[in-house]
Amino acid sequence: MDVVALAIEFWGGTVTALEVFFLTLFFALPLGLVIAMGRMSHNPLIRVPIYYYILFMRGTPLLLQLIIVFYAPSYIFGINLNRFSAAILAYVLNYAAYFSEIFRGGIQSIPVGQYEAAQVLGFNRRTTFMRIVLPQVVKRITLPMSNEFTTLIKDTALISTLAIVEVFRIAKSASSASVSIVPLFVAGGIYLTLNACVTKFFVWFEKKQDYYR
Amino acid sequence: MKRILVLLTVAIFALTACKRVDTNATKGAAETAATPAKFILGFDDSFPPMGFKENGEYVGFDIDLAREVTKRLNMELVLQPIIWDVKEQELNTNKIDCIWNGFTMTPEREAAMAFTKPYMNNKQIVVVLKDSPVQTLADLAGKKLALQRDSSAADALDKHATLKPSLGELLEFEDNVMAMTDLDTNNCDAVLMDVVVANYNYIKKAPDKYRLLEESLADERFGIGFRKTDVALKDKVEATLMEMANDGTVANISTKWFGSDITTLK
Repeated sequence: MDVVALAIEFWGGTVTALEVFFLTLFFALPLGLVIAMGRMSHNPLIRVPIYYYILFMRGTPLLLQLIIVFYAPSYIFGINLNRFSAAILAYVLNYAAYFSEIFRGGIQSIPVGQYEAAQVLGFNRRTTFMRIVLPQVVKRITLPMSNEFTTLIKDTALISTLAIVEVFRIAKSASSASVSIVPLFVAGGIYLTLNACVTKFFVWFEKKQDYYR
Repeated sequence: MKRILVLLTVAIFALTACKRVDTNATKGAAETAATPAKFILGFDDSFPPMGFKENGEYVGFDIDLAREVTKRLNMELVLQPIIWDVKEQELNTNKIDCIWNGFTMTPEREAAMAFTKPYMNNKQIVVVLKDSPVQTLADLAGKKLALQRDSSAADALDKHATLKPSLGELLEFEDNVMAMTDLDTNNCDAVLMDVVVANYNYIKKAPDKYRLLEESLADERFGIGFRKTDVALKDKVEATLMEMANDGTVANISTKWFGSDITTLK
């Protein structure tokens, strides 16, 4: 196989992986926070459905969720979604579930005393959360989030289920065509490079949060 | 403690030695060996009707052929499902003895493996929904065509001069089931696949739902792939297959799976 052509293909696959990565984070992070709030709600009509939502999203394979999000509307309503949008929707729904539990863990780790102190000092609930609780939460959830981010880089490979070309798929095709496993290692190198960047980002982010040192 | 270690080491050496002797004996003289030599057949167990799992057992056209061949060669058939992407590695590292699974002979594969004579012709055919306006390959211009990636269908499409550039979109799926789901839900217009698979899986099971185009792509041949260093075994299997073709056994097995004798061993 032509090495240049293969390199161009790999580049295209990498761009797809990055698109999936950033779009998923862009939508799933805010959604995860909203879901975390819902999960902590005192109203069972909100809390219980969200409990089952998280159970389903974390309890079934992402691959199956991709298939359901894309094909279920076709089977049930005869609507055909755009392939890529459906895939992103599935990633967002899945990752928001994981993110929400990380957010919840962070929020619930803040002692009640801080809320009481804020109340005594005359802060309203919104300001208490945004200015006092959330900055501490961000600090505490940084490490578990870095796990999810690195997993997401590798999970982008699943998008090939919906016939979208991505890095690992290109590697498997090239491997099969050239009767060699070298392309698979190239794909591994690409994921490793992307995750090295993600890790670098988290090192920087962690350092930035060390504002009390 | 030390004694146990020594004993263990001796035991392990003894075992490996036994094993080596065993394989040597079986490879050399299969017919005379007391225990039948193992014949490890590597196949993708999700490829009906050639080889697949039904009610917990491996069945299929190729499996039936292999059972008869190994019976006649007095060998023990071991069916080893493999991941299709690493079939060459499985073969080259002796995990399997052959790839026998509706295995299309291509120049690249023939360079890398020792193939038997082709035993069946296969072509790539286009499946559409019964009410589809598509009648010929030319009608696929601007349409969405799905197929299983890295399959013979993909190769055949690459080799076809006009079809691929004329397509609106080419969708490559992990397997035919996903491609057909795409067709069922109108997300694509047609699926390109092996004619044996199309007939067995879809036309036979749902004749009112699907239709095959009359035009087909790339006539291909199915062969059995062995290691380049294993020509002796390949020759034995090939000779037995010819024997089975001459006494009508192959025709019987073909009729059981395809309704007629579509093999090419004459």
